[in-house]
This record gives sequence, structure tokens and C-alpha cells, in this order.
Amino acid sequence: MRWKARFSGRALVPTLGVVLGIAAAVTAIGWSTAVAGPAGGPGAVFEATHLPPLLTTSGERIDLAYDVHCAAAGEEVPDAGCEARGTAYVRGIGGDSFTALPLEERSLDGRRQLAVVVPDALAAPQRGLEYFAVLEAPDLGRRLVVPAGGAAAPHVSRQLDGAVEIGLGRHTFGSDGRPAGVRVASAEWGDGATNAGLEQSRGLGPIGASSFDVDSLGNVLVLDQAHRRVLRWVRGSHVPQRVPISINGTLADLAVAGDGSIFVLETTAPPGRNPMIRRFDDGGRELEAIETAERSTSQIRMDAESPVVLGGSSHLWMPVMVAGTPASPGEQLRRGRVGRRPRGGTEVIVLRHENEVRIAVVDGRGVARSWRLTSGTPLAEIQLAEPVGQQVVLVVRVYDGARDEFVVLILGRIGLVDRFPLDSADWAETMPLGRFRLVGRSLYRLGSTPSGAFVDRFDLEVR
Amino acid sequence: MLRTRHLVTTLAVAFALAYAGTAAAYHTRFVADNCNYAPPTPTSYITRDGSAAVALRARHEGYQWAGGCWNDNDRDDSPNDPHENPYTGGEGGDCSGFTFKVWREALSTADSGFHQWGLLRFVHGPYTAATFKAGAGAPNVTAPKSGLVKMDALASDGHIGLIYAVNPDGSDQIIEAKGEAYGTNIWTRTYRGSSSYSGVRRVGWSS
Repeated sequence: MRWKARFSGRALVPTLGVVLGIAAAVTAIGWSTAVAGPAGGPGAVFEATHLPPLLTTSGERIDLAYDVHCAAAGEEVPDAGCEARGTAYVRGIGGDSFTALPLEERSLDGRRQLAVVVPDALAAPQRGLEYFAVLEAPDLGRRLVVPAGGAAAPHVSRQLDGAVEIGLGRHTFGSDGRPAGVRVASAEWGDGATNAGLEQSRGLGPIGASSFDVDSLGNVLVLDQAHRRVLRWVRGSHVPQRVPISINGTLADLAVAGDGSIFVLETTAPPGRNPMIRRFDDGGRELEAIETAERSTSQIRMDAESPVVLGGSSHLWMPVMVAGTPASPGEQLRRGRVGRRPRGGTEVIVLRHENEVRIAVVDGRGVARSWRLTSGTPLAEIQLAEPVGQQVVLVVRVYDGARDEFVVLILGRIGLVDRFPLDSADWAETMPLGRFRLVGRSLYRLGSTPSGAFVDRFDLEVR
Repeated sequence: MLRTRHLVTTLAVAFALAYAGTAAAYHTRFVADNCNYAPPTPTSYITRDGSAAVALRARHEGYQWAGGCWNDNDRDDSPNDPHENPYTGGEGGDCSGFTFKVWREALSTADSGFHQWGLLRFVHGPYTAATFKAGAGAPNVTAPKSGLVKMDALASDGHIGLIYAVNPDGSDQIIEAKGEAYGTNIWTRTYRGSSSYSGVRRVGWSS
């Protein structure tokens, strides 16, 4: 392994106080990890990715692994990597102090990693652990805290005991049993008053109607980002209202608050900035512009108390408003959580690993309910996982070499209550995880065909 | 007669030049002022980490159809190029040019060796998204999507992006040259599950 020669085996074991200071400093001075070089020349690179083991099973080892990418300024052939080292700080959930675990070098599938297997004794019995890591590239003078909120907002790995096991078998594509749904909104592609627009350019497929949401009254709002407006179908109406909004016109996500205000998460950012969230009143007047904490942010949703965004590098859900006031990027980082809270106190946590999906509903005492689903057909992304009463509605995509569909699953206390497939209906590109919303007991789906975009409603029999 | 023919020819040339001047009215100086045509540096091996670092240096830079030259200053130095024109001389690669450079491929499709192109080397390479998707060329093969790992690619007939990381919800973080309005960056995408996309892998990674 060629990078080993430059890799330090020395562990970084500072005191917790130092670590917390580092974390606070990183949070205070910036959350961006990219390092710009001089114009025209390559700068230093030091970044890391980490897939947190959010949900584990009894007896499963907890492996904390960080893929590390680094290159010195001016180095155009960076295969040799650079000296890097790190420490994970771990404690049982609710514990008082973190224990430092040196990260060791290893290579997995050709990826350079800093990693450690957590000793069983460090996890809280029946519950799990909290952790973060500090990574350093001393030759570059760079340091990363992962997640950036450090001790204030660590990753959490929970243990599933007694999860309901569900085997989905092999999926049959194109099968019967698809509910028709009720079409509650539709717009043909075009540039007219009631059309939805398409971004089109060379190399890009069609991109349009990039996201949607449904308010508590059942009004459907579709983000027509190409025309920089929202199309709003008042419940029962077939003709949309137009709400012009000031956005940058690229792929963006949408969430509607209980007071009718509209939150738009842009995914392309102004130079040198992170993506912006723009809040508008129901008439389209801009109320706030809030900078997100990370350079890549993939979703915005309304939780019970606040709009939250999902950070691309931390994998944490972060509130962007606190007590009605915009949260600074630093505050967003310090309040990050691994799960959403769409219905008040309970948190929903998901993990898809290969052909298995794990889901936990967590309350103040720990994991209240959990499921493990295995599939004979490859699983792609989880589009939605939200509790309704004692059940959970899950939407996941299944695929093979040539086909894909969504599967809607209703999970009950002792097993699978219902399931049905839905066509992917994704002729145009949208926000990748913006295709489904659950409001009350109704599931809404944003789809598209070569003629236009639409929203269908499926009324679920859930308790 | 000869004089008349000469006059017609002169007028035709004049009109052609005038038309060309109008058609190519938008042209940034980025490529002309910054890029070079230096030969690539052969390397004896390639790592996924090293390629990730190469890709990360293109993050936040621009997009240019048929382009392949960028610096590392975290901004698009030729923003808002007309996106239907490959000759505007702007900063950035397009999706296939970016992949070609990050995968260190050769101009010859029969060559599967490793060729490090400098950031400011203007080169696109011989592949389109569709030919990458088909696994064309000695360095490229198709691969099952479920087994793809970091720096493997997902390609459709019109686009290709490289896998940077996997998210807990099963979506991927893709590093890609997305388009003029987007530039080159990392975004969460669901290409893996989409039937429009296939898996592609560069051969020869060091472990």
C-alpha cells in the first residue's frame, strides 16, 4: 500500500478539553472544509467522508471508519496521500465524558481509511453510543471535526433489540395492485401561466417542477423553479395560483410551514457561500435569507418545531429557525440530530445498507419500535419514512439492471401491514429526495411524464 | 467577368466573417489566458483516494460543454456562458471530460494506462456520457450498480457522475460537472436506483 510510507501511525490523543476547544473553534470559525488555492494553482485538499452506523444489531461490531482524502498544495498527482491521523471520541448515550480512541490506518476497497472498532464496554447497555472524530493533516495544517458540531452534536449509533424482521422477497416489476390515486395537481410543460417550466441545456436531461409540499389544508404547492415561482393548487381547484418568488432558478427543495410561509432550499450557492434557504410569505414576499451550515444540503422539511435541513457531509438534520428566528450556521451545527422529528417528540432514524433497511422510532427513553427489512431485489434510496400513529410509512426504491419502481410499505407493531408499488414516473429530474410527502394519512407523490408534472394523492389505511 | 466573380467571392467572405463574428460574440478569455496543452504525466498506478483528491479540486469550479480546464479557486471564472455553445472558452469540464480527467485516461481509447492531466491542461478526451455508459474504451467497463464504490460512476445517455460517498438513506453523494448553471460540485443524487443510469468502472485501481 503506497500511502503507508507517509502515513503516521501515531495516535492523536488530546484531552477532552482540548477537543471541545477544537470543536468549538471549528464551529466558530467556519464549517467549510474546502481549502481554496491560489488562482490558477491547486490548493491543499483535506476532506473526509463517513457513513455513520446509525442503527446496529446486538452483537454487531461498531466500526467507525473515515475515508480521508488529502493532497498538498501544488501536488497534481496525489496518490501518495499525506500524513493524516485522528481520534474518535466515544461515550454511551447520555454518558458524561467521552473516551478517546485512536484511529488506525487501513485500506478498504482501495480507499484509505482511519478507523476503529468500538469496544463493547463503551456502548450503553441496550442503547448505543455517541461519538465524533477529530482528524488532522499536520503537514497541511488542516484539521476536521466530524460531524462539525463535535461534542455538542455528535453522531449517535443506536442498538436495535427486538426489531420486527420483514422479508420482502424478490420484487415483481410491473405487477398489478397499484392504487390509482387521486390527481390533485397537474401542469403541462411550457411557459404559459399555468405551465411548469423545464431547465434544459446540453448534457442535462429535463429538470422541472423540482419539488413540492402540501399544507395542512390540503393545498398543493409545486416549485416551478425554471420560472422562479410556486404553483399553488387550492384544494379542489384545477387551476393553479402563481406565486412569483426570488430564487436562483436551479434545483431546489420546498417546505411549507403551518403559517403558510414557504421555505426554499437552493442547492447551488453564491460564490464562496453555502446554499441559501429563502423564506417567503404566502404571497411570495421574501422574509428571510438563511445560509446553511454545510456546502452541500439535500433536503428541507417541516418538523414539529422548526424547518430542518439534512447536511450532506454530516448526515445530520439541523434546524434553520429556532424560536422563530433564523439560526446561524454555527447554531445549526450545534443542534444537529441524526433523525427527524416530524411528529413532535418521536424521532425517526433510517439506514439503508445494501439490500437491508433498518428503521427506528426513538422517544425520550430510547428505541421504542424498530424494523429490519431485507429484500431479494436491490434497494436504492429511502424516499420517505414517517410515523402515523403506531405505524410507519416507508417509501423505498427497488431496481434491477433495467427497471425501477417505488414500493410503499406500512409497518405495524408485529410486521408488514400493507404494501403496494408505484411507477417511478420520473421523466424529469427533481430534487432527488423530494418526490413524496405524507400529510395526515395521505401520501402525495410528485411525478412527471413527457407532457407534464403532476401530484397524486393516495389515502392510506393506517392506524 | 473575372472581376465580377472576385467581387462576389469577396462579399461572400465578408458576410461569412460578419456572421461568424456574430455567432461567436460571446467568448470568455479563460481558456486562452489560463490553459495549456502540455502532455500528460504517466503514472504507474491510480488510487481511489488520489482520484477523489483530483476531483475535489474541481469542486466549485465551472462547467463548460466540451471543456476540460479549470483552476482551483472555488469559483466559476466564466459564469453564465451560453450553455448551448461548446466554443465559449469557459472554465470547467463537462461531465464526461471531468470523468476522463479524474480517471486519468488516455486520448487513445485502446490505452488503459494512467495519465495525469494537469488542472489547467485543456483536454476533454474521446468519450461522451453515452460511450462511458456503454463501457467503451480499454479503461472502462460496465458494472452492476449495487456493487459500485467510491469513484466508480453512474452514467446515462446524457450525463455521468462519480460516486463520492453513500448516504445513510441509500442515496449517493455524486461529484459531477452538472451544467452551466450548476458548475462542478458534490450533490446528493438518486442515480443509482434510476433505470436511466448504468454502472461504469475504470479498470486498474490499486488496492
